[in-house]
Amino acid sequence: MPFVIGSDEWAKIESGLLERAELFNLLLRDLYGPRDLIRTGVIPPEAIFAHGGFLRACAGIRLQGEHDLIIHSVDMVRTASGDMCVFADRAQSPSGAGYALENRTVMSRVLPSLFRDSHVHRLAHFFQRLRAKLSQLAPNVDEPRVVVLTPGALNETHFEHAYLANYLGYPLVQSGDLMVRNGFVWMKSLEGLMRVDVILRRVDDWFCDPLELKSDSQLGVPGLLGVARQNRVAIANPLGAGVLENPVLLRYLPQISKRLLGREPRLKSAATYWCGERKDLAYVLANLDQLIIKPIFRGMGRSQTYAVMSNAERAALVQQLQAQPQLYVAQERIVPSHVPTMIAGQLQPRPAILRTFAVASESSYLIMPGGLTRVGLTLGSPLISNQLGSINKDTWVVASEPERPVENVPLGERRAQQQQSVGLPSRVVENLFWLGRYAERAEASLRVLRTTFVMLNGADMLPRNCRHLLLRAVTEVTSSFPGFTAQPELLDDPEKELLAVVLDGGRLGSVRSCLQAMLNCAEESKELLSSDTLRVINDVRDVMTGLDQALEGGLMSAPEEALDPLVTALMALSGLAQESMIRGVGWRFMEIGRRIERGLQIITLIRALLVRELPDGEQATMLLAMLQVLEVIITYRRRYRGRMDIAQGLELTLIDTSNPRSLLYQFGQLQDHIANLPEVGISSRELQAEQRALLEANTTLRLSHLVDLARAGDDSGRRDELDQVLGRLYHLLTTIGSVVSDKYFDHRVGPQQLVRAVWEG
Amino acid sequence: MRYRITHVTDYRYSIPVGRCYNLAHMVPRDTGRQTCTRNQIHVSPAPASTHKHQDYFGNNAYFFAIQKDHDQLSITAESEVEMQEQGWTPGLALGLTCGEVLARLRSSSAPECLLAREYVLDSPMIRAFPALRDYAAPSLRPERPFLEAVQELNERIYRDFTYDPGFTTVATPLQEVLTHKRGVCQDFAHVAIGCLRAAGFAARYVSGYLETLPPPGQEKLVGSDATHAWFAVYSPEDGWFEFDPTNDKIAAEQHIVTAWGRDYSDVTPLRGVIFGGGDKHDLSVAVTVQRLA
Repeated sequence: MPFVIGSDEWAKIESGLLERAELFNLLLRDLYGPRDLIRTGVIPPEAIFAHGGFLRACAGIRLQGEHDLIIHSVDMVRTASGDMCVFADRAQSPSGAGYALENRTVMSRVLPSLFRDSHVHRLAHFFQRLRAKLSQLAPNVDEPRVVVLTPGALNETHFEHAYLANYLGYPLVQSGDLMVRNGFVWMKSLEGLMRVDVILRRVDDWFCDPLELKSDSQLGVPGLLGVARQNRVAIANPLGAGVLENPVLLRYLPQISKRLLGREPRLKSAATYWCGERKDLAYVLANLDQLIIKPIFRGMGRSQTYAVMSNAERAALVQQLQAQPQLYVAQERIVPSHVPTMIAGQLQPRPAILRTFAVASESSYLIMPGGLTRVGLTLGSPLISNQLGSINKDTWVVASEPERPVENVPLGERRAQQQQSVGLPSRVVENLFWLGRYAERAEASLRVLRTTFVMLNGADMLPRNCRHLLLRAVTEVTSSFPGFTAQPELLDDPEKELLAVVLDGGRLGSVRSCLQAMLNCAEESKELLSSDTLRVINDVRDVMTGLDQALEGGLMSAPEEALDPLVTALMALSGLAQESMIRGVGWRFMEIGRRIERGLQIITLIRALLVRELPDGEQATMLLAMLQVLEVIITYRRRYRGRMDIAQGLELTLIDTSNPRSLLYQFGQLQDHIANLPEVGISSRELQAEQRALLEANTTLRLSHLVDLARAGDDSGRRDELDQVLGRLYHLLTTIGSVVSDKYFDHRVGPQQLVRAVWEG
Repeated sequence: MRYRITHVTDYRYSIPVGRCYNLAHMVPRDTGRQTCTRNQIHVSPAPASTHKHQDYFGNNAYFFAIQKDHDQLSITAESEVEMQEQGWTPGLALGLTCGEVLARLRSSSAPECLLAREYVLDSPMIRAFPALRDYAAPSLRPERPFLEAVQELNERIYRDFTYDPGFTTVATPLQEVLTHKRGVCQDFAHVAIGCLRAAGFAARYVSGYLETLPPPGQEKLVGSDATHAWFAVYSPEDGWFEFDPTNDKIAAEQHIVTAWGRDYSDVTPLRGVIFGGGDKHDLSVAVTVQRLA
């Protein structure tokens, strides 16, 4: 259910918001510039100087153009009187614009005709202006490169960052993807370092530079502030903007506005009392029941509602207020108007907060029509935040007449859109590479486990030799060493170990740890995966969660069936990669990861099962197992009529390029992908190390005689030539993997401080 | 009086550093009583980029970044500073009393006074606690002339505390310094500032150099001086006054100011972020303050 605001009411709100954004822009400039508001006593000095968001290192830095505050966001509620009332300003890195966009996209899909007929104002314009403004921040650059800086996949708003970056067409980067070099900021991409001109910042400013700001920050770029100081990179919102979130400013806003704009602000703010002011403190202590107590700096804790606290908590709070009064404000408790909300299929009233967004544009601001409405989970819930859990809804500003179509894109904007090579941070590509490898490794592990389960539970008793080889193959293929290879006592009672290889997430090489690693890689490269792919990845997560239960019955319960859904999900994943992923660099690396891993698995499996020479019957069983794991048993039977012959088995799995699971096929694919990678360094006719290794692997395999490979040594009882050739190929494949990763990915050690700053607590 | 100051900082790393970013406070600022007439910073290996700016406190900050492997970093800052002669000693017994200072700090609307209130508040390395107030109380009595009271506090710190370079590090908390009454100039300055702030006064940290004189009849040794630290207090309408608790002195011509801030963390001579370097760094600092005329 959207939150609906009429166009007349909205016009009033909008003009109030425009004025407020201008006001906060001037305020920001003053605080990091002349500080006249403090000098002349408009704002008490302690209100700013004691605020954790006032970053002294950022003083004197200015953006190009009339605005330093690029995005200004306001949280407001509708009061009992029907007026909108602001209770907080957001300027750090206001989140929610991406959610608003997503809600709108969903709503217009679900209710297209209602949406059209109600003449809802569009959001696209807001994002166009944002894009145009960001490119104007680097006026001396023809085609400025803009990136979105995110703290990383673990942040609760990461989804929004990825969504926004994709919508705006900017690379999503983490601090490790950026570095300062030669006095500029650069993104580490596959094509080398790319200069970054503008950063849309979603990391709190305090964390952004371990040299001058928080010294133990893992989310920062050392030297970033120095580059911004020289105006060689523009950061929006600028570092230090968090000071505008200080709620004490609301207490003095009428005076500030009179000084800066010559009049009081039109938009009403919630009555706010600053405990650093004696009279205010006295009022607060006398009226605690009607107030919400907030620390002036978000980093210091949450808001507290006195009325709902225990006696002990109340006493502690009063003590805090008296000990450090200047660190707290109190705000009147506004009862927000309730809006109809769909809860469990029924419309119910819920308290609602509207977050609005303003973006700097030309000489003024542009307000997003509507914004993000968040509703409380319960009737009358006093606090609403995405972190605590809340429901979002779309906000519709409805006009009585259809809106004019969005005007033409301004010229500056059009030029920015033509910019071609957006570039990918190499971290994202590295994660795709590993996503490919882990997906393939998990699939290979599942296949060998499935075949093992089936054969162990088969009607015929499996000969001892075969059983041992098969179990050792499980350890080899999954790399869950020591496992069956080094602990012979497990071979006769394998159940516990086999289940651990599937379920034990703490065990290196287990299916679960492998899938977990794969999911982590997917998180880190989310912005390049389609929504269908993300859905399949969620399926993998779900199935994995249910695995313990599915395998409760142990080996007796046909555990191979429990693994089927996972294999299916992984197949879907590789299918989607083939069918719906753009053939860009990211896809190439994912494929390279996949092909290398599949090649390694084929080699490992064949060496584990076929190198040892066995009596005919047992040999046939092992060949069968190998063909089964590699998914070619049906083809083999059709082609060779059931004659179990090692050389023929090797032909099908090693050199038959019509089999997409043969080794030579993997080499062919690798050849194609590697040939299409971007060049690094000086181009030369000389073969690169990875090409060299691949050529040798290809040639070695093609020059081998199947008969020689299948023949056992005279008295060794082993197929020595097969072992040697496969050993060499294994080495070459791992070489390709490490050369590619050294060449394209960034593996530098993390930063450390010259002098440890322990005083930051 | 003119001085030439040579300040050499050397770092040696157990493993090469591939990249480093540094911010130095090594260029003396101009103040009411000194002018920096010449300054040169030499960094080895040569930095890929450098940038000078004036920081929030008006200090000279020098940023540099090195982009090639190095296992040794050497920074030589050479400055010439002209000190103004102070033909007078401030009349400490005159002026406002402690009580008046507190009242004016609260009520004055003079811009300088409003801005000075920043230095009453806690800062990253100095958080007021009751023991500091208790220590200062006998000196900072309301009816006493303020500067005289501060001088007594300065003298008590000089008498009660033992100079002991082995006892503290950059990171030793103020509580510990006060309990054991040991430390170096930086700790003593922090103690004095903490005492004053705990009582509601504005005090800031001053870093710089002190000219030392060799024993009579001996040559002055190169590198025998050191970086130094002291503090300044604010008396409304009169301005800032500098005291040196390490030497029981009012800062004068021998006290050459580099930078000031709320505490050491604002004016660290050299901070840096390095990539590589291993876990062992050897640091040596040599300072020579040479009288020119």
